[in-house]
Amino acid sequence: MAEQKVFSKLGAALKKGDFILTGELEPEKTCDLSHLVEEAKEMAPYVIAANVTDSPLAILTINSLATSYIVQRDSGLECIWQLTTRDVNKLGIAGLIMGAQALGIKNILSLTGDHTNMGDMPESKPVFDLDSATLVKLVREMVDKGSINGKPIECPPKLHVGAAANANSDPMEAEVLKIGRKAAVGVEFIQTQVVYDLDRTIQFLEAIKKYKVPVLLGIFPMKSYAIAKGFDEFVPGVSVPPEILEKWKGIKSNIPDKKQQQDAYDQANFDFFKPFITELKRKKLLAGIHCMAVHYPRIFPKLSSIIKD
Amino acid sequence: MVIITTKKPVEEVIGTLKNNNVKKVVLVSCGVCAALCQTGGTEGLEEWKGILEKEGIQIVNGMVIEDVCDNREMKKALRKIENEIKSVDAICTLSCGLGVQSIVTSITEKNPKMKVFVTNNTQFMGMTERIGRFYMRCIGCGDCLLNETGGICPITTCAKALMNGPCGGMVDGKCEVGGYEKDCGWILIYNRLKDIGRLDLFGKFREARNWKDSGHQREVCFR
Repeated sequence: MAEQKVFSKLGAALKKGDFILTGELEPEKTCDLSHLVEEAKEMAPYVIAANVTDSPLAILTINSLATSYIVQRDSGLECIWQLTTRDVNKLGIAGLIMGAQALGIKNILSLTGDHTNMGDMPESKPVFDLDSATLVKLVREMVDKGSINGKPIECPPKLHVGAAANANSDPMEAEVLKIGRKAAVGVEFIQTQVVYDLDRTIQFLEAIKKYKVPVLLGIFPMKSYAIAKGFDEFVPGVSVPPEILEKWKGIKSNIPDKKQQQDAYDQANFDFFKPFITELKRKKLLAGIHCMAVHYPRIFPKLSSIIKD
Repeated sequence: MVIITTKKPVEEVIGTLKNNNVKKVVLVSCGVCAALCQTGGTEGLEEWKGILEKEGIQIVNGMVIEDVCDNREMKKALRKIENEIKSVDAICTLSCGLGVQSIVTSITEKNPKMKVFVTNNTQFMGMTERIGRFYMRCIGCGDCLLNETGGICPITTCAKALMNGPCGGMVDGKCEVGGYEKDCGWILIYNRLKDIGRLDLFGKFREARNWKDSGHQREVCFR
């Protein structure tokens, strides 16, 4: 693959090989983004960039491109615009990518997207004209060749494109081969689904090392027992280890003071993730960490201290 | 191959007929696919005769036709009952959507005002396990991938019809759509390609489907 150009802080950090931290912002069903902008401001000193989700679980939220633009404009935090192939066809997606460039968006995360059947507008038509791999290819054609379907774009977009992977996926080989397809069409970084199992994560990272794509590992620090339990029960394919659930339950039951409880949760997250991240960092299998805990910006100083350690 | 149909709710059909002031009908029942799906054939014909008569709709003629979807068969059948056709308000067919349109095509030349209605919903082109268990395995996309996917179609077995699956909605080989009960099509493909020693095909990047020629208004006319 040709030497990559750099268009963003994320692109620069990945090229330099820094061990980085990215965050995640989840817009809601609202046209007011002030809370999200505040969240972005709080995490901004600690992360290179933050993902902006595109109606996850197909539950309608304000559009992710508009949100990315407003967050960047009002908080200064660079965004990784999550773009699913669920809602727009190839023609529409190519137009959105040019629009993103005009709005100053510099990173895209290409996702297939949860099926409309899963969400709160199940009557919507699921589009899936492209999938996450064909979307990566489309972006790379637009950026590298300055064309779309072989036709020149007068002022082409200049942005980076990443994709997702799931270390928990079983059979793992199918997931590994799938990453191979995305690597073949020029994906520039991978962000993984949340992991808790260190051995399996190492096995997965070893298996995809050959594709030479920088990997940001997805972690989910849990703000409360209710969130930990909900995550364990409702996120398919991800189980929170029982010892974590026990510990979090203990914090909830034994510490009545709200502030002390918050501190205890934050410390428990630090205690769990520090050895986890340190071991992976030591093995040099990662480019960084992607923290998917939304609405929990106060955890970033602690996470950042682990990353920089 | 069978065109799979299911019966429309009786109230919907009755409502349609009443809204169109239908008092006398000819019933045309499909003797092939709909018969197999128990939405047509002789049994379906008897059932609908009973339902419509109870609603005060007179059945002037009821017949089972082997190929309702074949314009030639339909024209022949309609010619035989020309006089009865003249006396009815509508033809009602126990067939798939092709049958309805075949009747419309066959009748409009001589009887442009004749209304045609259907008692079934057309579901898909089905693969039969046994009577009563039919599965969508082909949508006739016009660009068959089966030689490259171990004979398992991703367009119909993947809920998103992805070209490069599985997606993140697969958990333990099952699909997110429908609550993780159905198999993920791309894992079926992975297992099959592994069995036949062609995982290289699984790892291959596939271009997005080309809709230029595989969209609607398709025709196959070679003579």
